Amino acid sequence: MPRVLVIEDDETTAREIVAELGVHGMSTEWVADGRAGLERASQGDYDLVTLDRMLPGMDGIDVVAALRRAQVDTPVLMISALSDVDERVRGLRAGGDDYLTKPFAPDEMAARVEVLLRRRQPTVAQRLRVADLELDLVSHVAYRGGQPLTLLPTEYRLLEFLMRNSGQVLTRSMIFETVWGFHFDPGTNVIDVHIGRLRRKIDGTGQSALIHTVRGTGYMIAAANEAASVVS
Amino acid sequence: MNARPNAWHSATSRLILIYGVLFALWGFVLVCVIQWETTRYLNSVIDQMLMQRMHYIASTDPERLPTTVDAASAIDPHGIMSVGLFDRDHRPVAGNIDHLPVSLPRDGQVHLLKHGLPRPDRDAERVRARGLASMLPNGDILVIAKDTSTIDGIGAIIRRALLWGVSLTVIPGLLGGFLLRRGPAKRIRELQEATDPIRQGDLSKRLPVSRRGDELDQLAAIVNTMLGEIERLMSEVKGVCDNIAHDLRTPLTRLRARLYRTQQQLEGAPEAALVESCMVDIDAVLTRFRALLRVSELEDRNRAACFDEVDVGQVLRQVHEFYAPVAEDRGQPFELEVQPLSPIRADAHLLFEALANLVGNAIKFTPPGGTVSLRASMDKRGPRVDIIDSGPGIPADERDAVTRRFYRGDNTRSTTGSGLGLSIVSAIVRLHGYALDIGEASAGARLTLYCYALAPGEKPGTCLSRTVPEVTTATA
Repeated sequence: MPRVLVIEDDETTAREIVAELGVHGMSTEWVADGRAGLERASQGDYDLVTLDRMLPGMDGIDVVAALRRAQVDTPVLMISALSDVDERVRGLRAGGDDYLTKPFAPDEMAARVEVLLRRRQPTVAQRLRVADLELDLVSHVAYRGGQPLTLLPTEYRLLEFLMRNSGQVLTRSMIFETVWGFHFDPGTNVIDVHIGRLRRKIDGTGQSALIHTVRGTGYMIAAANEAASVVS
Repeated sequence: MNARPNAWHSATSRLILIYGVLFALWGFVLVCVIQWETTRYLNSVIDQMLMQRMHYIASTDPERLPTTVDAASAIDPHGIMSVGLFDRDHRPVAGNIDHLPVSLPRDGQVHLLKHGLPRPDRDAERVRARGLASMLPNGDILVIAKDTSTIDGIGAIIRRALLWGVSLTVIPGLLGGFLLRRGPAKRIRELQEATDPIRQGDLSKRLPVSRRGDELDQLAAIVNTMLGEIERLMSEVKGVCDNIAHDLRTPLTRLRARLYRTQQQLEGAPEAALVESCMVDIDAVLTRFRALLRVSELEDRNRAACFDEVDVGQVLRQVHEFYAPVAEDRGQPFELEVQPLSPIRADAHLLFEALANLVGNAIKFTPPGGTVSLRASMDKRGPRVDIIDSGPGIPADERDAVTRRFYRGDNTRSTTGSGLGLSIVSAIVRLHGYALDIGEASAGARLTLYCYALAPGEKPGTCLSRTVPEVTTATA
């Protein structure tokens, strides 16, 4: 069971985070003060820290910078009311691993936490596998049932992101940020169309669907039987 | 508007010109009056003299008259005074006049002789003269005339004086006026330069006010007060908008989260669809709020953006790649034509966002089967990007309005979207000092982004290099 430290001074937000992460099977501890949070994060053995940007006692940026200086490499999800791109860059530069703007949808927050947790377990494999779909990370070729698929560069990047986080719900904004590298709202439609194309290539005719739509949230790649619990 | 103003488009110049013309006219009238009065006076002096002389000669003994006439003409070596005695058959008897001038009435009154008098000693030039002819009791005719070239000479002197006077006054006057005008013209230029950022939407700027406190300063002070008021009102309106968006976002997000949980619990029940449609509506509101706050965020940034050397063609290729599947799904041929371009200083992320919005709009408003084409080319001054579609186009009277917040054309109300896409674009365009032109193509709309870095105010201190989390870093 992953252990998450929640450093957040707003009680309502903190309760939301704790509840949502609890639903996703994580144990959480809540600290409301920056200085105390830094102490706990550097001593305790946490798998992840969610960190508010503006805290009493010590600024979130300073907390994450201090953690990194102390060689603590626990993934940090920065959560902030400051939405400007420059603020995001500042947060990530100080050592944050991801940046989420308040107010956030809890499912989006949970999805980002899970992706960060997944990143902690390094993939040494040269091939990613979901059911009979395989992705060769060296030759950049995907195979479905042993048959090679022709993918455009963007489709490859999209598939790689999905497969690295197989079984994990990915929101549209996470997909847009990671695959295209931009941080604005491109409208849901474009991402859906890209997913649709990839889906047509991968799930072809007569094969079981691997890319699933998670209503109200985003997408997930998983073998049909594994996906049943998440996808409606 | 920045063009150098015409020399006569200045109040001072015009005033000086009008004064000059009035002065010249007045001088002319004055000189005319003087000349006329002088001539009249001199004429009357001559006339009196002629009458006296006529009286004197005519009253001499008729026997000695020819001798007297000859004596009178002999004392006039310069041919100024002409005296002639003619018999009843108009034959000359004595004096220095060739023949009797026909035009001169013999009434004893002084008349103007336009062509002077025929004289044996001065046949070549005949100058104007005044003269009179009298019928003597014996039937002889006595003619006395005096040439009036002296009067004409005085007239010429007066006219020359006028010419000198006017030119010595008007020419330095106009020159001085022109020089005087340069002062205010320079200040007008300063004011124009000061208004440039204001016209581009930076309401924090003010017009310069000098210590002189003259008319221009008073005007500038009034405009500054107005600008202050406009700025206050604008920020109030924007603040209200932003606050509403900002404050409503939190409860709406919580509401959405609750609906999401409810939907998950209702799994499979018929109410789930209802809950989901609620979520779709809330998402639409949240999207709009996000876009609104994004516009404010871009406007507040005040050119603190991260500028770097950017290849517009490369960004356009990315945008094309991003939207190609969407156009394909709608059966729209989606062309891309990128010519070699010189790099520009821009924020690549914002440029992508702006172009993506423009291209997204073009695809959205072009009916399935229409065409959308992207072209990047070099202009005289820099790269330009044209986005041309075969959609309904943007009516000429809506072209200014479409970049305003929430504006949606009448025939686009049924289309989804926040109505803020072009506001975001124009905020980004303003931030870069570029220009966006909305026009028409042969079959639809043409939107042109001129990437001329007119004044990309760089602030290197606030520039942070973007680190984008990449897929490959996940292996680390």
